[in-house]
Amino acid sequence: MGNVSIDEKLNLELESFLKDIEATESLDELEKVKTKYLGRKSFLSTVLKNIGTLDPAERPIVGKKANDVRKTIESKINDKEKYLKDLEFEKKLREEKVDLTLPGKKLPSGKKNIISKVIEEIEEIFIGMGFEIAEGPEVETDYYNFEALNTPKDHPARSLHDTFFISEDILLRTHTSPVQIRYMESHKPPIYIIAPGKVYRRDYDVSHTPMFTQIEGLAVDKDINFGNLKWVLQTFAHEVFGKDRKVRFRPHYFPFTEPSVEVDVSCNICDGKGCRVCSNTGWLEIMGAGMVDPNLYSFVGYNEEEVSGFAFGMGVERICMLKYGIDDLRLFFENDLRFISQF
Amino acid sequence: MKITFNWLKEYLEAENLDPEEVSTLLTMSGTEVKKLDYVGERYRNIVIGKIIDFYPHPNADKLSVCKVDIGSKRLNIVCGAKNFDREDKVAVALEGAVVEGQLIRKVNIRGEVSEGMLCSEKELGISNDGSGIMILDQGFVVGESFSRSMGLDDIVIELEITPNRPDCLSVIGVAREVSVLTGAKFVIPWHDRGKEIKLKEDSLDGDLSISIEDYKLCPRYSARIFYDVPKTPSPFWLRNRLILCDLRPVDLIVDLTNYVMLETGQPLHAFDKDLLVSNKIIVRRARSGEKIRTIDDVERILDEDMLVIADERRAVAIAGVMGGKETEINPETHNVLLESANFWGPGIMRTSKKLGLRTEASNRFEKKIDPMLTIFAIKRFEDLLTKITGYKSETSIYDNFRRVQRERKIDLRLAKVKKLLGKELDSHTVSNILKGLGIENTVERDIVKATVPSFRFEDLEREVDLIEEIARIYGYEKFDIIPPVCSLRKGGYSFQQKVIKNLRQTLCDIGLNEVINYSFLSRSLFESFGLHLEKEYSNPVKILNPITEDFELLRSSLLPSMVRNVKNNINHGIKDIRIFEISRIFRKSENSKAPVEKNTLGVILSGRAKAKGWDEEEEFYNYYHLKGILEFISSKFICSDFVINPQEYRFFHPRVSGDVLIEDSKVGIIGKVHPVLLEKMEIEQDIFYLELNLDDFVSKVEFERKFKSIPAYPSVEIDLAIVVDEDVKNYEIEQEIRKSGGKILRNVRLFDVYRGKQIEPGKKSMAYSLVFREEERTLKDREVEIVVEKILDNLKRKFGARLRS
Repeated sequence: MGNVSIDEKLNLELESFLKDIEATESLDELEKVKTKYLGRKSFLSTVLKNIGTLDPAERPIVGKKANDVRKTIESKINDKEKYLKDLEFEKKLREEKVDLTLPGKKLPSGKKNIISKVIEEIEEIFIGMGFEIAEGPEVETDYYNFEALNTPKDHPARSLHDTFFISEDILLRTHTSPVQIRYMESHKPPIYIIAPGKVYRRDYDVSHTPMFTQIEGLAVDKDINFGNLKWVLQTFAHEVFGKDRKVRFRPHYFPFTEPSVEVDVSCNICDGKGCRVCSNTGWLEIMGAGMVDPNLYSFVGYNEEEVSGFAFGMGVERICMLKYGIDDLRLFFENDLRFISQF
Repeated sequence: MKITFNWLKEYLEAENLDPEEVSTLLTMSGTEVKKLDYVGERYRNIVIGKIIDFYPHPNADKLSVCKVDIGSKRLNIVCGAKNFDREDKVAVALEGAVVEGQLIRKVNIRGEVSEGMLCSEKELGISNDGSGIMILDQGFVVGESFSRSMGLDDIVIELEITPNRPDCLSVIGVAREVSVLTGAKFVIPWHDRGKEIKLKEDSLDGDLSISIEDYKLCPRYSARIFYDVPKTPSPFWLRNRLILCDLRPVDLIVDLTNYVMLETGQPLHAFDKDLLVSNKIIVRRARSGEKIRTIDDVERILDEDMLVIADERRAVAIAGVMGGKETEINPETHNVLLESANFWGPGIMRTSKKLGLRTEASNRFEKKIDPMLTIFAIKRFEDLLTKITGYKSETSIYDNFRRVQRERKIDLRLAKVKKLLGKELDSHTVSNILKGLGIENTVERDIVKATVPSFRFEDLEREVDLIEEIARIYGYEKFDIIPPVCSLRKGGYSFQQKVIKNLRQTLCDIGLNEVINYSFLSRSLFESFGLHLEKEYSNPVKILNPITEDFELLRSSLLPSMVRNVKNNINHGIKDIRIFEISRIFRKSENSKAPVEKNTLGVILSGRAKAKGWDEEEEFYNYYHLKGILEFISSKFICSDFVINPQEYRFFHPRVSGDVLIEDSKVGIIGKVHPVLLEKMEIEQDIFYLELNLDDFVSKVEFERKFKSIPAYPSVEIDLAIVVDEDVKNYEIEQEIRKSGGKILRNVRLFDVYRGKQIEPGKKSMAYSLVFREEERTLKDREVEIVVEKILDNLKRKFGARLRS
């Protein structure tokens, strides 16, 4: 094997390999390098094949050296192969054509009716204060709708309620207040309820629909007073319209409360300065309320000296209109999906 | 109701009442001020002028140039009107005035300077007369403000008077309120000037007799005759006050009746005395079918529930509502009979309602006004008539009056005030508020003994009524805000409310939009859906007094209104529709006067389930989408499955129409809306409809689930394809498989239905995937084989099924 020692040659072979592998840039080239240095015809194979021909003293030394070189080469090739494979995979991924800005797969989206949404919101406020939800029939008797609410036949307040009749004394309830009477008849104080529901009045123009939605409230206990009414309703108004809004309690008249109240919040459009929405008053009326008239207690068999309470009622559509800036009442019952899907 | 600020001030002794402050105080004490209208502002820079001279405009045929004296100086004004002469007093809009929205400026009109404008009544907003400029009475003072001279320098107060305060339907009533609120003294500025007038009780003395048939309907009738009334026109201040308060001026007598009504709250009516057949006034019930032509020139047909004023021949007025045309005041009237009466409120309300005729008078009477007012109002009428015309009358007031108790004593406990209002008020405060309201009282220890005066007799009956008076005058804002003190309690929803709330949310989450329709339905829509022929729906509740035919019935199904929602949305260009409604439906009840109300869910799918997308195909809704919703609901809410039982309904496609059952009881219906029905409604796409009775549904719901341990042993899955006749229903096969499969069969799922080449006509192949599992051990293959064989045997026996090879 000439003048140069095998050891020397192996070193040269390794050097050559390292140069080649450094220059390798693809798996194909790597395969060639692999054949060149580890293949049957490679120098290393030749050395290992012919090791038996060597001087027995040299054999282990050359053998070890050759194996070391082979291991080094193998390991470098493996590393390079892994590196090149990773690179190739990465390249393949990068070549994938994806437009991330294409639209996503549609999931259908449905909306609760704004009236339901606002009712639920209001229910939650009162449930938080310990109220329950009560219900009553939409087709009522004259007794529950008027008589027991201190509004006998020929009472002037009846003319404010243009009523739909089913028969002489069966009618569509004109307010949710009959629930007060029904609930008191079947329960003893303490009573803390609200009662949402549909009500009907024979009125149909730009600012009236023949059906609309009210939420009634009733609290009757041993020692409920006017200050309590103010606290509960102010708390409610702040929750619905925001803590920064002023709340005002103004005397009014309802046959079934005494004293009676109308509750206003300061106008959010003009901040109380006066604008078209609040008819230049700076205030928006949100509900009627009052201390339960003692006559009601006698209708349901309570002793008026032992209990006291307050009641309130509000129009849900009005609350929606004020809260969302809706300017046309009729939208609520046209069921135009372009309206419903907004909320 | 509208009154004016100057009018109000006539009844108050106060130097500096601020209208804004008065307005706020009224609103905050229950007499809501809707609007303050500063009408005087409209007449700024309009003054009284006198035409000194005028000549034709040199460069314009139709115009004149006027020299007008306005006191401080003379103006040059170009004018187009012709109806004036030298010395005429006119209304002059100066520079800076705004007339009909136009700012008046100094201008040059064809070479002549014009320094203002002479105004017509129309331009001044006083009448519709725009034919020429307004010529004023010579009594007007040159240079004075026009609005002050005309009584227009005023503020209109628009009030909302609650039905419990008929006393406040008057200037005097509101003045009393302002008095207690501001401390300004309430005064009646004219009372003492009137001379004492003799009162005559129901006795005929030649002039007049008054006969009242029923004192309940007419507790009091006072009247007075004014002979030879002067034919003076109403002065401007009177006319303008009426105009500002939305009443139309007519002539002096009628204007005065209206004026006194606004001032005192007592409606008056004036008859032409000479047109009454005799000197006898009869207050009686109308005869059935009796006719009267009222002053609005409408013939009214009366009935026995209505009260009329009559002479001995015919009705001359509908009591408390409107006078008759035949006896009304007219340009020839010499002698006037003035009526000032009190009628029973409920009677007037009924009459007014039946006739559809609401008037200023009926509005007051129906709220029960004070019978003590009648004489007072007649005196005021005379007082004004005298002041305006110098007229003097010596006649008596005739007064037929069944006296009634009009004073009431109420004990007010201060402790009750504290209990109800949450704040302690001392006897001094309470007593003073009541006195300010005209309620005399004395304090005895902790009790205020109050005497309610006649003018508040109707609405102050009980202790609590006085407490309200105290609260509203003291000021609602002065009561502390106090959290209620009560024992802790559980609020929240009932089970049914929870289920329905949850269902609503679930339906939204799977993409449905919630609609809310009116509960009403027209009969024509009801019938076009054939509901009148379907037993369950055919008994709708009828409205006795619908507004229009759209509101004739209450819905017995949600279907028609929801189909209309589809139609309307298609018209707006929205064709893919998935909507639901949760509302009550109504049906007549057999054993109760009140109808049955049922909480009901309606669901509609129509149009595309999926639009064509960049990577998906278009898909239209079909029956199985709707059934999928039902199955989703069942997996979310209940343990038992919904079962569809084919059942024909006229509004559904005959083959796609069924009942929805849970545990063999019907809870709803499902189907495809009948194509012919849709064609009639011009809807060109399929509609699928589901209706569930929520009350029944909720009774089947089990929210709470019990834990089942996770299977420890593997299951065996077998696919089984069988061939059966077309008529055999999946549900029947499934039921049989389950029954035959016994307890090791855990699940059955249909995964293929095939009709075609390999299957003979009239048959179909149904492929099921069956899952077997034993709880305590691994199943042996042989065990499963035995069960599958049993299943096949039974299917063969029952349905003639064979295994598909």
